[in-house]
Amino acid sequence: MIYQQLINGLMLGASYALIAIGYTLIFGVLNLLYFAHGEVFMVGAFAGLYLVVYGGANIYVAMLGAMVICALLGVLAVYVSVRPVPKDRPLAPLISTIGLTIVLQNLAVYILGGQQVAFPETIEQSLYTIGPVTISSVQLFVLGVAVTVMVLLWLLIEHTKVGRAIRTVAENHETAALLGVDVNRVVLLTFMIGSGIAGVAGVLDGIKNSGISPFMGLGAAIKGLIVMLLGGLGNVLGAMVAGLLLGLIEILSAAYIGTTERDFFSFAILILILLYRPNGLFGTRTTE
Amino acid sequence: MPDVSSGGICLAIEGLTKRFGGFCALNELDLEVAQGHIHALIGPNGAGKTTFLNLLTGVLSADAGKITFNGQPVDDSRPFRRTVRGIARTFQNIRLFPHLTVLETVMIGEHCRAFPSVWAAFTKAVLQRPFGECSEERQMREHATELLKFLGLADRREARASDLPYGEQRKLEMARALATQPKLLLLDEPAAGMNPRETVELDGVITRIRERGVTIILVEHDMRLVMGISDCVTVLNFGTKIADGPPERIQEDPAVIEAYLGEEVPL
Amino acid sequence: MLDWMDGYTRVLLVFAGINVIAAYSFYVPYKTGQVSLGQAGFMAVGAYSSAILTQKFGVPFAVALASGGLIAAVTGVAVGFPALRIKGVYLLLLTLGFSEIISVIALSWDYVGGAQGFRNISFNPWTLEYVAGVIVVLLLLFSRLERSSLGRAMDAIHQNETAAEVMGIDVVRIKLLSFGLGAAIAGLAGGLYAHHATYMDSTTFNVMLSVEILVFVVVGGGSTFWGPLLGAAVLNAIPEILRALRDWLELLPVEWTDFYPINRAYDLLHDFLDFENAKRLIAYGLILMVMMIVRPDGLLTRDGLLRLRLPRWKTRYA
Repeated sequence: MIYQQLINGLMLGASYALIAIGYTLIFGVLNLLYFAHGEVFMVGAFAGLYLVVYGGANIYVAMLGAMVICALLGVLAVYVSVRPVPKDRPLAPLISTIGLTIVLQNLAVYILGGQQVAFPETIEQSLYTIGPVTISSVQLFVLGVAVTVMVLLWLLIEHTKVGRAIRTVAENHETAALLGVDVNRVVLLTFMIGSGIAGVAGVLDGIKNSGISPFMGLGAAIKGLIVMLLGGLGNVLGAMVAGLLLGLIEILSAAYIGTTERDFFSFAILILILLYRPNGLFGTRTTE
Repeated sequence: MPDVSSGGICLAIEGLTKRFGGFCALNELDLEVAQGHIHALIGPNGAGKTTFLNLLTGVLSADAGKITFNGQPVDDSRPFRRTVRGIARTFQNIRLFPHLTVLETVMIGEHCRAFPSVWAAFTKAVLQRPFGECSEERQMREHATELLKFLGLADRREARASDLPYGEQRKLEMARALATQPKLLLLDEPAAGMNPRETVELDGVITRIRERGVTIILVEHDMRLVMGISDCVTVLNFGTKIADGPPERIQEDPAVIEAYLGEEVPL
Repeated sequence: MLDWMDGYTRVLLVFAGINVIAAYSFYVPYKTGQVSLGQAGFMAVGAYSSAILTQKFGVPFAVALASGGLIAAVTGVAVGFPALRIKGVYLLLLTLGFSEIISVIALSWDYVGGAQGFRNISFNPWTLEYVAGVIVVLLLLFSRLERSSLGRAMDAIHQNETAAEVMGIDVVRIKLLSFGLGAAIAGLAGGLYAHHATYMDSTTFNVMLSVEILVFVVVGGGSTFWGPLLGAAVLNAIPEILRALRDWLELLPVEWTDFYPINRAYDLLHDFLDFENAKRLIAYGLILMVMMIVRPDGLLTRDGLLRLRLPRWKTRYA
């Protein structure tokens, strides 16, 4: 019984982790709370849905398509919401992203209607049993993709030149520029990567929940923020671990204490971290 | 001009110590500053001078030691209380309020003297007449204007603090600190970035401040200014006091020379 | 009083007015540099407290409203303590978390209705008059605060907190006062809302409300005391302006617009201006984004109303 809950927790946690990765990458390079990230997640889910339903694509193509569409959305966000806005007023970029959130969410409502939409079945349903654990093919798929994405991202950040450029920009813009890094381009790239991953997360969420709505972005945004803080602002590995942790905590508290209380724990954790360990569990990695 | 030779002790420091992790920034410092003196604190970079100022103003808390100000122990944890008691400072890396005008900046310093508590300030703010100004505001403005005249900034009253040239920003810092009516003024490298002409002007300003009855602790690197104006000089190196006395004696002290030049220089 | 107003306009003004009051609740801590995303939570505290007093204890409305504000103020000071040493994004998250916890409490506390919400709160027919009165008092208060030494001290704290502290400003008490006062004002707004809408639940005072309140002040201009009023008024007026635009569009003679491509454009524009929630919000969001590019300090600043900024698309880093 507990294994089922653990798996559910990991799945929820994987979703949180993937969203938080984008948040924390962007915060790391820009010190910006990219509020609209939740909406990117939502767009990814719908993009995947439309690719499957109207494009007749299989799930892998749909995920790839969602990733590309969301990456492009990230580019748009940079040109419209990040670059033209002055950075010396701390609230201006935040409010611009809030505006973008409102636009994206309501565009979705306007074009797609405000209802929840069923996500089509794309994976053959079957059950696997490993020891005491019973896991479905859907769960295996979601976890598998999520873990693969996280591993690939970690490899990118730690072991490639691109990743090093991102880390340098996350340290300090001036130093990075002096070292020959095109900071503007790195920021753009970070947005693309973060948004693309959020897109994949959206599709996975659709598969997992078999239903998506234009309003799924806001809740994801808030949870993503909490996870980002928990893992340490700007800390990608921290976001991954913290996401899984929060998912587990939420599911376990819902199972053993009560469903309305489950959000209470998340916010209580948020407050405790802010008061006693603002650098998160694993330390921050952001630019000055 | 106050009688410097028989004045009391304005500030007495005993065994002041501050550590940052394993690094000892200030080690068992003993120091006495006489009333009405201009007392300089010098030493190579990293000697602990700014740490000392931060400990005095309460921005940092000491690991050990005692501070006595005008006979009373100083242990207020909140810096603003120390300012109310009469210890004011300027900052080495100018910390002005960028969007306030020159006059408004100095009036901030006046605030703690005009309003003893936040509640008093709030009630006065809420109950003030819709047109015209209350008496405290007028008094504050008059004091502030007088200080600006004293420092030669009177014609810049309406300028934004961030628009001022560097030298005038330094003067504004001093005006603001003086507005709190301090008995002890801590000047943190006031001559930094100044050319010789400006430094001479600064010399005059500091002397005039002393004439108003303010004791001054001067942290500085400009030796000509220090030796020319100070009544007493304390030298720090690596957080420890290595010399203490009138400027002429300090200039000849071999330990001081070695600390600055790193080797013995034949006299 | 004010009976000549029709019902629709009246309701509109009440909600706009409550938004104005809420905007001022954000403005107070913001003046000291504390950006709070939790004002909706303080509204909830005031709303629920006053409703409990009127519904469960039969307390007269005015007393309940004031008490709600007071309770919210106490909560504000309580939240203000941990907020003292927290800045920037951390403070945003702390206040956000606080607001969400209040929501969760409202959701799980059956005394106030739990998931069903707090129903049948007695309707206050004088809400508009109360709202107007509160706004007038607030304007008087803030016009004086702005010219006072305390107001100057608050600005100083905003611009350089350590310098202000060392210059003898009691930063801790002033920040706590700001948080408490802001929360009290939010509590009043919440109480007024509860007794006009007669229903509220855990989703009424949510994150987006806190965000809207922040937006009112930043758009109106956070450096003068007219800013919150202007921002809330303008942003609340936009749907009405859009509707008026659409009505005007319909007055155009048919011959002018009956040919391609004008008729297509006309149809699109008319459709877009149709006062429907999603489209209004899209316009709202676009306005926010444009404003942050050309006028990031808000509509009203110390130097006035005009002067637009030119966007720069590449930041030079070295």
